[in-house]
Amino acid sequence: MFVDTETLDTLNNFSKNKYKYGFVTEIDSDKPKKGLDEDTVKFISLKKKEPKWMLDWRLNSFSKWKEMKEPQWANLSFPKIDYQDIYYYSAPKGFDKKPKDLSEVDPKLIETYNKLGIPLEEQKVLAGVAVDVVFDSVSVATTYKGELEKLGIIFCSIGEAVQKHPDLVKKYLGSVIPPGDHSFSALNSAVFTDGSFVYIPKNVKCPMELSTYFRINSEDTGQFERTLIIADEGSYVSYLEGCTAPRRDSNQLHAANVELIALKDAEIKYSTVQNWYPGDEEGKGGIYNFVTKRGLCAGENSKISWTQVETGSAITWKYPSCILKGDNSIGEFYSVAITNNYQQADTGTKMTHIGKNTKSKIISKGISLGHSQNTYRGDVSFSKKADKARNYTQCDSLLVGNKCGAHTVPYIESKNNTAIIEHEASTSKINEDQLYYCRQRGLNHEEAVSLIVNGFCKQVLQELPMEFAVEAQKLVSISLEGSVG
Amino acid sequence: MNIQDIYNLNKKNFLYSQYSDVENDRNNVLTNFSINKFDKKNNESLRNTDLKKFFEFDYKYNHQENQSITRINKDGSYSIVSVNGKCENYDDEQIQIHNLSELDSKDYFNNELLNTDDFFIDLNSLLLNSGFKIKIKKNKNVKIKISNLISEKNFTVFQRNYILCEEGSSVELIDEYEDKNDAINNVYKILQIEKNANFNHTIVQENSFNHSLILSTHTICKERANYNQHVYNFSEGYVRNFHFSDLKETNSQVDLQGFFFLRNSNTSNNKTFVRHSSEDCKSNQAYKGILNDSSKATYFSNTHVDSVAQKTEGYQLSKGILLSKDAYFFSKPELKIYADDVKCSHGSTIGPIDENAIFYLRSRGISKNAAIKMLVSSFINEELNSIVNDYVFEMIEKKLIRYLSEIK
Repeated sequence: MFVDTETLDTLNNFSKNKYKYGFVTEIDSDKPKKGLDEDTVKFISLKKKEPKWMLDWRLNSFSKWKEMKEPQWANLSFPKIDYQDIYYYSAPKGFDKKPKDLSEVDPKLIETYNKLGIPLEEQKVLAGVAVDVVFDSVSVATTYKGELEKLGIIFCSIGEAVQKHPDLVKKYLGSVIPPGDHSFSALNSAVFTDGSFVYIPKNVKCPMELSTYFRINSEDTGQFERTLIIADEGSYVSYLEGCTAPRRDSNQLHAANVELIALKDAEIKYSTVQNWYPGDEEGKGGIYNFVTKRGLCAGENSKISWTQVETGSAITWKYPSCILKGDNSIGEFYSVAITNNYQQADTGTKMTHIGKNTKSKIISKGISLGHSQNTYRGDVSFSKKADKARNYTQCDSLLVGNKCGAHTVPYIESKNNTAIIEHEASTSKINEDQLYYCRQRGLNHEEAVSLIVNGFCKQVLQELPMEFAVEAQKLVSISLEGSVG
Repeated sequence: MNIQDIYNLNKKNFLYSQYSDVENDRNNVLTNFSINKFDKKNNESLRNTDLKKFFEFDYKYNHQENQSITRINKDGSYSIVSVNGKCENYDDEQIQIHNLSELDSKDYFNNELLNTDDFFIDLNSLLLNSGFKIKIKKNKNVKIKISNLISEKNFTVFQRNYILCEEGSSVELIDEYEDKNDAINNVYKILQIEKNANFNHTIVQENSFNHSLILSTHTICKERANYNQHVYNFSEGYVRNFHFSDLKETNSQVDLQGFFFLRNSNTSNNKTFVRHSSEDCKSNQAYKGILNDSSKATYFSNTHVDSVAQKTEGYQLSKGILLSKDAYFFSKPELKIYADDVKCSHGSTIGPIDENAIFYLRSRGISKNAAIKMLVSSFINEELNSIVNDYVFEMIEKKLIRYLSEIK
């Protein structure tokens, strides 16, 4: 009984744990009217000074979206999204003319980043991180551009890429996630405002981790990011994405699309730390995060690796997937998902093996606390041509308290008799013996649980690049703080 | 003929068609078919199924003279021959058997599990034309063998079997489905295992090519009840084995094991669903399959743990071996857990026979074909050796040898 009451106490304490990054910067926003129709799409396209082909592409996506319904199969429940009650474009005012350097940037914005611990000035000095910061929807500043340009690497906002590199964008945009794939991808294709564009030329190893910090700031503004990363033959890139959002009461919609394309012998590593505002203790507010992430291993020997730490958002709907088309290509997925209070997460991956000798590995760790629901949903399929393909999947869940749920829903499909699939999963609570051992050595309950959970996630956390590893470990501890320890 | 037409044409011939309340319930079920409630893409009961065959078929059934027999063997065991879903009424101090009669009409729609969103169970409710009840009386130790037969070609049998195992009894039931007739046999079996009872259920299937067997079993376990199910599918025709277990009271346990041996263009759909709704229960779901030629199989396993069901242990395992390049296997081992003090896991593998093992055997002078057979039989050897009943063991062994001989 001793442990039980203690667990209850700590669970209660947890609810007092407030969101650390809940502050709002007051900057005037330049918004169109609420709601979504063709005019909104045209307005966004006009604001971004896009060529006609881009507008046509958007309008085509919009007409597809009108016909579609939201996917229903996820284990999530949330009120119906009113798409007409959302602003689809919000750019900090005065940004029609881009600032030449940091001194022209709104000082309040800089302050926001400082609060978040990403001082832009220092970033320039700090080893190897170029940041393409997205504040609400427009790129604010891009650092390290010159150095990357020397190598021929293009790292800019997608809006800029549409202007400057239309051929690349035309060729690859929507090639991995077709706008008509499902309703969120169609929506994003119609109204995306900004995001990153990366192109790594042949045989270039990107010398630094490319990184973008997203931040939702304006109330009721959905963020529709579009990221496109192309790694040409023999190249390598590691991309970091991190998000924190200020405290807000009404739900905010976030439907990003991320497309990765790895050509022959190329490798892309994509890491995410997601910490959007999860809603308060009663489950009020929080971000709706409907993300479509998909990578295509187009060429032989290519590799795409997804690593994610998901601690935020009221609703997470996210399945970073790999299409292993090239022979000998490799797909990896490492995930930690922590849900608290009334958060709901339905996340996982999809590995589609098409080429010969393709390999994939999935490691997923889910931790549920409070009243949350945490689902792993994964699809591994071997097509007829995927000779000697291999998959290994491991998904473990940890439950803390009996009001939450942990679910595992894997879909495993094989059409090839030389391919091998292995899948294992387990669900349990924190081992009493481990807890006892830690407590015996003088750790309090909270510390002990934190230590065990960090160990539980270690397999995934160690896949993160150095720049993220510290932040991710902190996040895991913060997410558990006061709840279980 | 589509389902609506079948129903309207044969309305008078179904079981309990004389009761207006049953008819109302049937009409409710019928709406499921008419408004296409079944999402053909995502409904598990329809996946990998020849829809044409079951959405449109010719209905044929006669309430003819009962040819069923029940007899006691020398060793005290019972042999029951059930023909077209009917049995011979029988009663002694150990068991009681009777065909579904007016008295049972109340039970008919009074079943919480009818809301499983399962196409074939709904079809069974709608077109029910036969069935029987077996009661195993208190504290008895009984062995029963049931041979399920269909007497005429192209019969469509929709039967429901209720088996009640009373407190403290121990039952060994062997269910045989071996039929050479072209037919559709849709069986919905409901087993209730009372307190302290122990039930071993062995199901052996070997039907001919044009015989479709749709077997849905549903077990309700009371306190300290124990239910073991072993399914062996050697059929050439379509077989669907869906099982639902409800662990209603504490300390009950179920062990569900299935084996399917497929060849040619055969299809087998399997599902096990265990619902833990009480504390301290255990469940195990393990299916193994061998797929040759262009055969197809699906296996859905599901462990559902309610928030009150602490101290649950639930395990799942699925293993598939694909012997040919056209074989197809889909598995979906699902865990839905709402309680924290649980130990649940699942494992699933699909792959070919280990090449290293074949190489090892071949380097010792064994032909490739013999090596494959040896490794296939070793794949299920462990479970076969655990069969206690000699009769079952010999039967399975014989069928397995026949299956292996067809591997080229």
